[in-house]
Amino acid sequence: MSNGNDNVVVRSLAQIGACGLFLLTILAAIPRSFRHGRETVRQIWFVGAMSLTIVMTCGLFVGMVLGLQLYDVLSIFGGTSATGTVVAIAIYRELGPVVTALLFAGRAGTSVTAEIGLMRATDQLDAMEMMAVDPIAYVAAPRFLAGVIALPLLAIVFCAMGVFGGHLVGVTWLGIDNGTFWSNMTAAVDVHKDIVDGVLLKSIAFGIVVSLIAVFQGYTTPPTSEGVAYATTRTVVASSIAILALDFVLTSFLI
Amino acid sequence: MTQRRSYAVGTGLFIVLGFAALAYLATQTTSVANSHSGSTYTVDTRFANVGQLKVRAPVKIAGVRVGSVQAIDLVPGKEEAKVTLAIDDGHKDIPDDSVATIYTSGLLGDQYVGIQFGQSKNPVKEGGEIGLTRPAQQLEEMLGKFFGGGSAPDRLGGTYHVTGDFTNIGGLQPGAAVKMAGVPIGSVDSVVVKPGAVQATVTLAIDKRYSQIPDDSSAAVFTSGLIGSQYVAIQPGGSPEFLAEGDSFVLTQSALQLEDLIGKFLVNGSPSDNKSGAQGAAQPDNAGKK
Repeated sequence: MSNGNDNVVVRSLAQIGACGLFLLTILAAIPRSFRHGRETVRQIWFVGAMSLTIVMTCGLFVGMVLGLQLYDVLSIFGGTSATGTVVAIAIYRELGPVVTALLFAGRAGTSVTAEIGLMRATDQLDAMEMMAVDPIAYVAAPRFLAGVIALPLLAIVFCAMGVFGGHLVGVTWLGIDNGTFWSNMTAAVDVHKDIVDGVLLKSIAFGIVVSLIAVFQGYTTPPTSEGVAYATTRTVVASSIAILALDFVLTSFLI
Repeated sequence: MTQRRSYAVGTGLFIVLGFAALAYLATQTTSVANSHSGSTYTVDTRFANVGQLKVRAPVKIAGVRVGSVQAIDLVPGKEEAKVTLAIDDGHKDIPDDSVATIYTSGLLGDQYVGIQFGQSKNPVKEGGEIGLTRPAQQLEEMLGKFFGGGSAPDRLGGTYHVTGDFTNIGGLQPGAAVKMAGVPIGSVDSVVVKPGAVQATVTLAIDKRYSQIPDDSSAAVFTSGLIGSQYVAIQPGGSPEFLAEGDSFVLTQSALQLEDLIGKFLVNGSPSDNKSGAQGAAQPDNAGKK
């Protein structure tokens, strides 16, 4: 790909360029990967359903801590009835998609990278090519597709758990009126701006980025055990940076 | 095969859960009515001031949401805002002489457009205009009214001091305005009860520009508006002599207590003074028992 004499900037550019080309290759392979529909379903199970526990737990606690902090601050202004509104908007617009994507990169992205990386290290991918099975269509595309499908669903579940957590702390524990909590929230939260633009659009974009980075890093791993380790680390680092930077860019367009 | 089947079932469950959560968020935590639902017709209104009104703010009739604000523009060349309302087709029967008003929900809430029906038999049509409007109330203006147009004037010309004895000054504070004919002419310098006295002695610092106040004028403690601050009003008398430094008002009128007023309203229907007399007599008794 690139020799060791290049400096960091050139290597990074080469990585981004190769990553972009890889995205095109995967997109071109997606129609062919529909023949391996079962594989896609299995990957959704692995990256999506298996991540539910961590996403739900984290969503609950994020919502709870938000409720607690906001109640504390809003009570200065006598505005504790706005707790539900702010919890919902903060989670829908930012925390839901971003934290889910970060968790997803750590939980699912790494395992995808390691799995594909080991396939590369143990020459399974080469073997597939020899058997006239396209490894992009059979290995890369289903995992990519699964991530793009699973992340929005996980983000939605995260948001629901977050609102539930905020309700748990705000209403059940701190005693905000239940009706006020919900009616203020429903008055301020907008389906289009907060749910479609906030949660869905962002998490689909994050899904594309995280899945692409995970699959790409695995696919281009140096075929050594050390290479797999580095690739896994790079997946988390690159995904985290990409998620947060993309979040800022998307928000500035959406707001 | 069973392995594969369990994947499929689990994945299906996961996807169903995701969409169920989406449906829950969309319907339970947002105002679905806020999104564009159903067809609407537009009506123009013109306001002198829209305050903080925003696009997509609700339009309400009798407090019920019937539409939303579609656009807010400045009328070219005029100090006027044109507000386009999108009203649901289900509410076609708004009289064309209705009044549109910009209200604020609560003290800090968002603003919305309220429509009060007129008497006309003709409903306002698509693209029509509601001609009668009331602009947004600016909190600063309202507060200005409550507090009587600002506090005491500056004291560039120096002040002279006049005292007045009041049996009850209510909530009068040092620094409160002193007004004559509604114009601030000075401020309250101090409020004290002299040892041994039962009356409050209020010292007023009056601007030297207003030195020609007849010495038989009376001073009264008034309240600006219902919940405004209290001030001292001077009602000029007819004497040729003027008040000077250190003089005191002969005639004073104490602060009216809201509780007393309400009490008077409540017993207004009965012609006898027995009740108020009995109350007046009872109070010192109670005080004595305590």
